[in-house]
Amino acid sequence: MSLWEFLSDRLDRLLIQIICAATAFFFLRATGTQAGVLVILALALLLVFGAVQLADFFRQRARLQELEAILDGLDQKHLFAECLPPARALYERRLFRLTRRAGQAMAETVSNAQAAQREYREYVEQWVHEVKAPLTAARLICQNLDGETRRRLTGELARIEEHVERALFYARAESPERDCVIRQTRLEEIVTQAVGNHKALLIQSGVQVETQGLDRSVYTDGKWAAFILGQLLQNAARYRGETPTVTFTARSLGQQVQLIVRDNGIGIPACELPRVFDRGFTGSNGRSRGGSTGMGLYLCRKLAGFLELGLDISSQEGDGTTVTLTFPAREAL
Amino acid sequence: MYSIVIVEDEPAIREELALLLENQGYRPICITSFDTVPRQILDQKPDLILLDLGLPGRDGMALCADIRRLSRVPIIFVTSRDSSADELRALSLGGDDYITKPYNIPVLLARIKAVLRRAGGPAESDVLETGKLVLHLTRGTASAEGRSVELTRNELKILAYLMSHAGQIVSRADLIDALWDSQIYIDDNTLSVNMTRLRAKLEDIGLSGFIKTRRGMGYQL
Repeated sequence: MSLWEFLSDRLDRLLIQIICAATAFFFLRATGTQAGVLVILALALLLVFGAVQLADFFRQRARLQELEAILDGLDQKHLFAECLPPARALYERRLFRLTRRAGQAMAETVSNAQAAQREYREYVEQWVHEVKAPLTAARLICQNLDGETRRRLTGELARIEEHVERALFYARAESPERDCVIRQTRLEEIVTQAVGNHKALLIQSGVQVETQGLDRSVYTDGKWAAFILGQLLQNAARYRGETPTVTFTARSLGQQVQLIVRDNGIGIPACELPRVFDRGFTGSNGRSRGGSTGMGLYLCRKLAGFLELGLDISSQEGDGTTVTLTFPAREAL
Repeated sequence: MYSIVIVEDEPAIREELALLLENQGYRPICITSFDTVPRQILDQKPDLILLDLGLPGRDGMALCADIRRLSRVPIIFVTSRDSSADELRALSLGGDDYITKPYNIPVLLARIKAVLRRAGGPAESDVLETGKLVLHLTRGTASAEGRSVELTRNELKILAYLMSHAGQIVSRADLIDALWDSQIYIDDNTLSVNMTRLRAKLEDIGLSGFIKTRRGMGYQL
């Protein structure tokens, strides 16, 4: 709050005071008071009023700064009303009481919403675990079928599993600290897991996988990292071009390790590139091919955030897409 | 014959898994009542336990701790809980491996084999033999009648897979599937190239026509 703001807020009061003073001066002058006396009187009045206004200004500003400091210091801002200092005047007391009532209503709503979200997350997780039992049984039953039918059914089962997996990670991303375990993991293991999970899709789409320099260790949660790579593999298979190939290349970058995932697919138009990590964004490729959920890369970015994993994408339309994952150095964790 | 105890409360999975293991030459033992699991298991003196985590009554982690107090029999967790935190806990309780459902069946079988081998079963033969052909897996060579040739990793895996299915017709798709499980990510064309080279090498050691092509079906030794 600046002095100017303060004064313009009080403009009506100041105007009335000026008008009163002017009327009084006019009256005094008309009843014969000397001009010199009036000037002294005016200066005295100005001094007193000015001092009062200034004192008011400084007091209010200090109070606002105090309240702002309290709000800034709070982790959960909606609990502000509970942390207010004692009120100094009647008007302030009433205002605080209103704030407190609003705050209580807000806190209740927030805690209800949090409970509902937690319950929903737990339900989704439980559901995912339950649905995995029949999926496992179906996979085992498939094993007894003849080659071609088995392969096709296994492919479809793998697609169901992809969707289930996304739902699970979506639920998990809400409170990641519960499941996330950062430890030393070999890059090769992560890539093998991701490729293995999407084997059916990749073979069916004729995607070749090449690896280079994966003989390195990183500090991350292997399952989460494999999930992220899995989304990239799914994209590479879905948006593939002629003789599709995905290359995983790792290299050290000081303390960090970079994993570069490059495909030679149809690429992403430059204008859509900044939005590919947005929730539900499908882009022109996704729309023209169908089956795109707009969730894969969104989840990647979210999970990468928790893993402190750098995630950069670049693409040339018609030439392919490159995603670079930068694993944090151990010291950073 | 190795006996494997299956602790799994889902009947469909239990039965199918038992069937699968039986077909692979193991002796599966199913636990169907979950009251005194450790006792039941140890009475059977199994070579390996496949343990589910989400069981009625006692949780699989607690069971594992109970079993570990009494025996050092290898335990593989097979579960739908797939977070790293669960895996870490299971392994620290004395589990030997941790596989998440829904599993890739060849991978499950490979892990079972690996755990059994680590547990001190007879070492798996390093040499495969079919007819005149002898394949040395660790050396990476194929030999017949005193003549020997070196194989690349891809050729070795292809030949090993065909030899372990000697007599059967192996489709190209099955072959590619199996190769991907060994982290050899090749497609149909690359397989053809590898196959041609492999045949040429076999010819060099006097085995021309050793790998027969069954048109429209696949390969056969």
